[in-house]
Amino acid sequence: MSAIPESPTPSASLDRRSFLKVSALAGGGLLIGTYFRWGGATALAEAVTATPVNFAPNVFISIAPDGAVSLIAPNSEMGQGAKTALPMILAEELDVSWDKVTISQADLNPAYGRQSAVGSGSTPGNYAPLRQAGATARAMLVAAAAETWSVPAGECTTANGTVIHAASTRRLPYGDLTARAAALPVPTSVTPKDPKDFKLLGTRVAGVDNEKIVTGQALYGIDQHQPGMVYAAFVKCPVFGGKVASVSLDDAKKFPGVKDAFVLDGIGGLTSGVAIIADSTWNAFYAASNLKVQWEEGEGVSQSSEDFAKQAQALATAAGGPTVPEGAKSLNATYHYPFLAHATLEPQNCTALFKDGLIEMWCPTQMPSSGQRLVTQGLGLPASKVVVHVTRLGGGFGRRGSNEFSLEAAAIAHRLEGTPVKLTWMREQDFQHDNYRSNGWHFFTGGVDGAGKVVALHDHFVKVQGQVGGMNGGGFPFNVMAGSRVESSQIPASIPTGYWRAPGDNGNVWAVQSFVDELAHAAGKDPLAFTLDLLAAVPAAPPPGAGGRGGGGRGGGFAASKMVAVLKLAAEKAGWGTPRPKGEGQGLAICNANGAYVAIIADVSVSPAGVLTIHKLTAAVDAGLIVNLSSAENQVQGSMLDGIGAAWFLKVTIDRGSVAQANFDDYALLGMANSPPVVDVHFVPSLAPPTGLGEPALPPAAPAVCNAIFAATGKRIRTLPFAGEDLKWS
Amino acid sequence: MSSYQLNVNGTVHTVDVTGNTPLLWVLRDTLGLVGTKYGCGIGECGACTVHLDGVAMKSCGTAIKDLGSAKVTTIEGLARDGRLTALQQAWCTLDVSQCGYCQGGQIMCATALLAAKPKPTDADIDKAMSDNLCRCATYTRIRQAIHAAAGA
Repeated sequence: MSAIPESPTPSASLDRRSFLKVSALAGGGLLIGTYFRWGGATALAEAVTATPVNFAPNVFISIAPDGAVSLIAPNSEMGQGAKTALPMILAEELDVSWDKVTISQADLNPAYGRQSAVGSGSTPGNYAPLRQAGATARAMLVAAAAETWSVPAGECTTANGTVIHAASTRRLPYGDLTARAAALPVPTSVTPKDPKDFKLLGTRVAGVDNEKIVTGQALYGIDQHQPGMVYAAFVKCPVFGGKVASVSLDDAKKFPGVKDAFVLDGIGGLTSGVAIIADSTWNAFYAASNLKVQWEEGEGVSQSSEDFAKQAQALATAAGGPTVPEGAKSLNATYHYPFLAHATLEPQNCTALFKDGLIEMWCPTQMPSSGQRLVTQGLGLPASKVVVHVTRLGGGFGRRGSNEFSLEAAAIAHRLEGTPVKLTWMREQDFQHDNYRSNGWHFFTGGVDGAGKVVALHDHFVKVQGQVGGMNGGGFPFNVMAGSRVESSQIPASIPTGYWRAPGDNGNVWAVQSFVDELAHAAGKDPLAFTLDLLAAVPAAPPPGAGGRGGGGRGGGFAASKMVAVLKLAAEKAGWGTPRPKGEGQGLAICNANGAYVAIIADVSVSPAGVLTIHKLTAAVDAGLIVNLSSAENQVQGSMLDGIGAAWFLKVTIDRGSVAQANFDDYALLGMANSPPVVDVHFVPSLAPPTGLGEPALPPAAPAVCNAIFAATGKRIRTLPFAGEDLKWS
Repeated sequence: MSSYQLNVNGTVHTVDVTGNTPLLWVLRDTLGLVGTKYGCGIGECGACTVHLDGVAMKSCGTAIKDLGSAKVTTIEGLARDGRLTALQQAWCTLDVSQCGYCQGGQIMCATALLAAKPKPTDADIDKAMSDNLCRCATYTRIRQAIHAAAGA
């Protein structure tokens, strides 16, 4: 019981009995048997006073006597489709018509189970619990109907929100059964549907907020409004680790519309800075941009990307070169990828109110629980006094797994007791205070013998200090070669790095899959045949968790047969191997991440002057059962383009301990004109539980393009971004 | 602080703001029309695209004191009497959006494109939409939706 928070909701007026049931769920099981609907303080208060004829057998589902079905989307929506996909799982098992359900975004509440939207985990993490929740409700409605008709429950079926007794041609809509169902004991175990009987899952379902989005009605974090709200900017030292040395707050208060200004420092987990409170976002921004602050820059100021590169080379040199067996062809190649910013189009922001000892926050966050924890620790408040409402997110990509913006807003609100405040980061601040995708260097040595067999594969991987973005030597293709070796080194640094879509894999798969292509050409083999040969050599049953980063293996054992299947499917769909004139080429790359298997083939052309055009991308994906085909396809298309755009155009450069890029004019995201006209996605039919899908198609997209560029021009790209590379040929 | 009059989606408003305030922030903070988004503040991302007298413009680069008599249309003003435009409908049907944050700006830009070129080619679309960034990279479907609406 120690893991249970003091109270699961803000205004927690739950009685002891309900609280115990909620607690049981927090411990890992499914909450069954409480008749409260959960949707934050307001919904809770309504539920307490409502007449108890709504049937709400668990926190996710409520059916009203008029048949209206309300479902909860427990995880944040950031574009990955969770607000549609997760309730689809409930609706499938509940057997209700999708067009009859209403969906609400959940606030933070332990009763909902896994609410973090990270690691492509929303769907795989909630699939089984939500099926159980839906199936339990359906079983109780069936039991209620069977009791009404005095027939065995086993003779009853369900369809479209109705219980049917075929033998007597009787039907009862769910709404007519709510009171009776609510009075029934909750079954301890129910059998969910056989996935082959799914009717809704696997179809194309449009996003539940589409109409709001296209009419400007969808509310993101940055769109929150509270009565009497003021607007804040928070200015921090551009140098990582720097602090406010001095500032004239009187000067700050002279800017138009500025109501207040103060320094925040010494709060646990919060970076020192100057808060500016104004009557509009613009006036807060204007003052923040023009205010003179003296910074104590600290030791971090000596860091630069240039110096990191020198240190990486020195580490590689010190490690010495591995040996390649005598007589074998030796390949040495250094691959480098830079830091990246997340650049979510909605800048970081949070709205907060401190009143009556309670912080209430409206957060665009991927991990509401960690935001709550930051605030409880930083401000010394119990979890019961920190309420987190989850808003829609204008992009996540891992950025909003960290929640420092929430702590900043909460700390400002704490000072402005009684007044709600919306903190918005200027775009420039968003670029300069990110948790960046780590940079990385791969120093490869490979050996190929006279028969075209790889006899050596060595990788010395170097990155700046940080937990995220590592390289594991146990995965494909390192696991198929005796004598292969991966070493890792880290450069001491204080650049904040963190989770960026497909962490680790987003750079490492590019490097490894590009070098595998080099090995294939050195072996005189077709890259497809070469990769299939390597896959054929994968041990049949690798130990669970023996994944690798660089082509395969995050999230459990690596099933080579699945990879072979997607690779062959992609090759077939893309017409691999058709002879092409110089200047045109195909490239392939594979990735196993988040449980999914992805193969991508890129078709490109490069003009003699060196202008690259990507004509077509073909992806084959085994991601288990597809929940929402429309959203799944959109995710794969978008993540491929995300990976390619980053590899083509993007880098964050560290200079004097701070980020040189400040806005989209020097961090040019992929645009429409460079986006290929054809992006084909093929899913392998599967009834296996769904894997993650928001990330795994990103890592192999860039190496597929780079390998295609090599096929077209003979030019090998070993440094990202490659926009500046000379691709001319004659 | 000065007083300015502006016509937004057919309604005339009087606002008291500092004259250098971009139209973007007048729409969002003063008038509560938050469908127009802040992305960059320097006219690079297109999330704040509105129409000034029917022409697609970035509202972050237009100070309220320079707006003059131009009639402003925002994403909230496209649908009439609750009826979506053909573009908005195509966006929904083809399920274009992921996070959706840029899509209001994309639709405003595409609406202006179709007004000028009812049957745009891919090249026309590339050109007209080149200033509207989508961080989720939904470009494949944006292009499909514009073609679908043009054919409607």
